[in-house]
Amino acid sequence: MTALVVALTAVVAVLGLLVVGLLRSHAEILKRLHDLGAGIDADGTPSTPPAQAATPADGPRPGRDFQVMPQVPSPPEREGFGGAADLAGVGPGTGETVTLRVTGVEHDTIVAFLSSGCVTCQRFWDAFRKPRKLGLPGGTRLVVVTKGPEGESESAVASVAPPGITTIMSSQAFLDYDVPGSPYFVQVHGPSGRVRGEGTGPDWDQVRSLLSQAGDDAELAGRLAGSNVPKPDADAEREARIDRELFEAGVAPGDPSLYSADDAASGADADDRPERTNPR
Amino acid sequence: MKLESHGIQTNLPPGWEGRITVRRKPEAVPGDDGGAAPSARVFSPEHHVSAGGVTAIGDATEQILPVVHLGNFPLPGDRGDFGSGAVDVMTDLDVLLVLAEYGPECAGTALFSHQGIPTRLTPNMFSASALQRTLPGQAGCQVWFTAEDRAFCLYAVLGRQSNARRVLPAAVETLADTRIQPR
Repeated sequence: MTALVVALTAVVAVLGLLVVGLLRSHAEILKRLHDLGAGIDADGTPSTPPAQAATPADGPRPGRDFQVMPQVPSPPEREGFGGAADLAGVGPGTGETVTLRVTGVEHDTIVAFLSSGCVTCQRFWDAFRKPRKLGLPGGTRLVVVTKGPEGESESAVASVAPPGITTIMSSQAFLDYDVPGSPYFVQVHGPSGRVRGEGTGPDWDQVRSLLSQAGDDAELAGRLAGSNVPKPDADAEREARIDRELFEAGVAPGDPSLYSADDAASGADADDRPERTNPR
Repeated sequence: MKLESHGIQTNLPPGWEGRITVRRKPEAVPGDDGGAAPSARVFSPEHHVSAGGVTAIGDATEQILPVVHLGNFPLPGDRGDFGSGAVDVMTDLDVLLVLAEYGPECAGTALFSHQGIPTRLTPNMFSASALQRTLPGQAGCQVWFTAEDRAFCLYAVLGRQSNARRVLPAAVETLADTRIQPR
């Protein structure tokens, strides 16, 4: 009987230890999940990981507002395009020292940041072997950049480097262009040295479409800016004179007296012009 | 923009880019005897392997020395030592500078008696007959010199000879900013 009691006690003790271990493991899993942003908070809203909560909420963010395809890098967490810089590096597997001008030149440059190892990049390496089928815009130079010899195998890059297209190895270029990962593409307007477009995609056709769209947008913006017609001098002077006289009479911009007659006359029309009834 | 390798360094003015290249030695092509003896090996001028824009071509016994290409236009990846491949894409306002090193036995000899990098290039030094490959409108000049006991040939090509006065100042500035260190 005593032996039975002792045995049962031992079994209960072992089971107790197992239960405690499982509870601790479960708690650890829940904590990690919470840190990653999964789960529901007490108020019913999804929990937010501390790192993301610290970032500004303006603008779409990968993972929150959209998902990127697997093996395609998420866009960098910054507003607008990154910087552009001239390129300096070495030729893959040859020791050739190379400098390339990207800014302050007449031609545009598409800088393709690739890696010899990533699966998605392989599609681009293959596509670049047929330069005539790339459909590059006129006056545009394509340059392939990989990380430097400290981050890539020179022989591996040399084996996939497309003939006829300049390939250089430069880790500094990844930093200069704030590249989030490979594959990634940046189109630089040569004369101004500004980035016209950047992004990535699963294949060259999509990237070309993306960059073409960015170019069209820039062109349209330029055209619109060029087509702005200034007011005739007489109109501008009249407007300035009326503003000045009203201001001198104590009627400042946004004064209710400027709108009250309209409101009375048009009634419901005031709802159509909220910016006038609620001047800033 | 700084370019430095193989004891040659230069500061490139805006719009200029450059490469310092050392050709790869070709691998031997075995002869009929299976290629056992090095002296029996055959090297065909057509036998070359391009990797990353640097071509293995020539004789396996030759000493491979650096070649510098500087230009105010996008240099193509596939270029010959004296600019073939690059001169084909030059436009009227383009300049190509080639600094090709020769063996140490040439340093200080009669042909290479000029000391230091030539920095006084004038339009009358250029001629179509000095081109390695004659292309309409282009003109070239060659100056052999010794610097720091290293023998070089400067080969300069103008995209259009009539633009010499416009484009030569930048070329001269580039050469003046180029330094050669002893081996």
